[in-house]
Amino acid sequence: MLESLTSLAYGFNIALQPQNLLYCFIGVTMGTLVGVLPGIGPTATIALLLPATFKLNPISAIIMLSGICYGAMYGGSTTSILLNIPGEASSVVTCFDGYQMARQGRAGAALGISAFGSFIAGTISIFGLILLAPTLAEFALKFGPPEYFALMVMGLAVVAYLARKSTVKALMMAVLGIILGCVGLDPITATPRFTFGILELADGIGIAPVVMGLFGIAEVLENLAAPTGADVFAGKLKGFWPNRQDWRRSIGPIARGSLLGFFLGLLPGVGAIVPQFLSYALEKKISPNPERFGNGAIEGVASPEACNNAAVGGTFIPLLSLGIPSTAMTAILLGALMIYGLTPGPLLIRSSPDLFWGVIASMYIGNILLLVLNLPLIPLWVRVLKIPYSYLSCLIILFCLIGAYSLNNSVTDVYIAVIFSLVGLLFKKFAFEPAPFVLAFVLGPLLETALRRSLILSDGSLLIFLERPISAGFILFSIVVLAAPLFSQIRLGRGLSEED
Amino acid sequence: MKRTKRIAGAASTLLWVAVALSVCYGATRLGLGGVTEPGSGFIFFWSGLILAVLSLIAFAESRRSEEEATRPTGALNWRKIVLVLFALVLYGFFLERLGFMLTTFLLLSFFLGLIEGVYWRKSLAVAAGAAFGAFAIFELWLKIRLPHGIFGF
Repeated sequence: MLESLTSLAYGFNIALQPQNLLYCFIGVTMGTLVGVLPGIGPTATIALLLPATFKLNPISAIIMLSGICYGAMYGGSTTSILLNIPGEASSVVTCFDGYQMARQGRAGAALGISAFGSFIAGTISIFGLILLAPTLAEFALKFGPPEYFALMVMGLAVVAYLARKSTVKALMMAVLGIILGCVGLDPITATPRFTFGILELADGIGIAPVVMGLFGIAEVLENLAAPTGADVFAGKLKGFWPNRQDWRRSIGPIARGSLLGFFLGLLPGVGAIVPQFLSYALEKKISPNPERFGNGAIEGVASPEACNNAAVGGTFIPLLSLGIPSTAMTAILLGALMIYGLTPGPLLIRSSPDLFWGVIASMYIGNILLLVLNLPLIPLWVRVLKIPYSYLSCLIILFCLIGAYSLNNSVTDVYIAVIFSLVGLLFKKFAFEPAPFVLAFVLGPLLETALRRSLILSDGSLLIFLERPISAGFILFSIVVLAAPLFSQIRLGRGLSEED
Repeated sequence: MKRTKRIAGAASTLLWVAVALSVCYGATRLGLGGVTEPGSGFIFFWSGLILAVLSLIAFAESRRSEEEATRPTGALNWRKIVLVLFALVLYGFFLERLGFMLTTFLLLSFFLGLIEGVYWRKSLAVAAGAAFGAFAIFELWLKIRLPHGIFGF
């Protein structure tokens, strides 16, 4: 514990350097902005801003990109409360009671409690991260290829299980992701695989152009038919500080939401959306007046908002301590770490303590910045929402094209982004979710290497995955998760309406 | 309506199975190796096979349930989509030949003016501002090399 606190002090030393502070500020502001704007989420924004970070040092870059992740959670609630449209997918639940509060003239209190709730949850999850990530990383040093393979399979199984529509379609996406993720030179024999003689594909299909196409350009193409014209809240916003009764009603839900979000966020594949729904359901269940929910109950805003913020902290643990992303958003962060030449995994904390502790400290600073800046800036965000979508889509296209081109200075990557924009559009049209695809795309090469090494280790016996207790546990859990929909009609992901 | 949907479902399954089997075929050419020493095509072969099986299950599932196979929200404007995609392919073709600034200006003017229907003078001004702004931020400030083309910018 003492060691962690000393390391955290070291982290603050790094995060408070003017350059890192500036990038933290840019990250949280950009995060809030995209959280506010419906139609563009944090996953796409991280991808869009990747090229801007190529020349930065990795610490500043990851500080900025993480700022986007949790900043978006703050921003998303603003649109949910004022417009009844989730600014990003994990703010869907906030619409239920937040918008009702706004209609009753209590928009200020709803925005206030969501900001304070997010701050408290952010603080709790950062402490959880400090306590758990190094311990988990130490534990993960015992992992061999079979454990890694089983863990990745479990992550993909959970993502498929949480699919909004069809588990089978989500699994198809995951398998397609693995196939495309493995294109390029064989990691063991260096044989070109499915490169069709294109030299640029020897290193594989880059994550940047794929994500730009899937999440950026595809979003613009989808909105060409129906420009999003929203009725922005016209009333005067006041009274952001919740009153004593609001606090009394909210403090329990904030604590419960934070813990639920954090621990569910830890699980590979869960992300921030499902915990938010669960926290809302939990509060409604234990409330003495469940009929208030949906009619402007402040608990219905406090708990889910705390929950989605804490879940983001939780998703950073498998990323930083195991090198395994658990959501599409952290998958892109993993891709970013690799682009910066870092090797994510259990050794990251030891080999790059400045990065790990610097990023954690910056998350705390970022949360403070968000709390201080967010509420006074709400009138500005309301004005941003009035910018015509045509200008925003023009900027999205521009950033996507620069992002796709500039990583390798290659026009092939521009074409890849264009192809994946069409693919992304078709995914949306035919209800295939892109999140399992992106996760599998990033995990594909790691999964393949772990599988092949495991089989070499075991002399070809698949039993190696069941003979080692940790991997057996992961595999068993995956089987249970995948078999569950066969026996039950209840699926957590059903009813969720937006893509991650 | 139902019949059209069924035909579309069957066609998409056929496409998925065809893709999956092509991957399997390509994988066998790469060499599958054995379980003791998996070859370059090992992961592709098994992934392709699983994908083919999943496609068939998805087809059966869609026939069994009444669930919509396509997303119900909003029709897509395919004419505009094809135009934008075509413009993006042209952008890729001319990017290194004409340079970043000019190509980007042309693309954004086209996008704003023709696709989004923004008033021409405004489209040209925004496109020029965005192209120059992006060049200033990425090339001059962040030192990211953007293509200069025959005109040198």
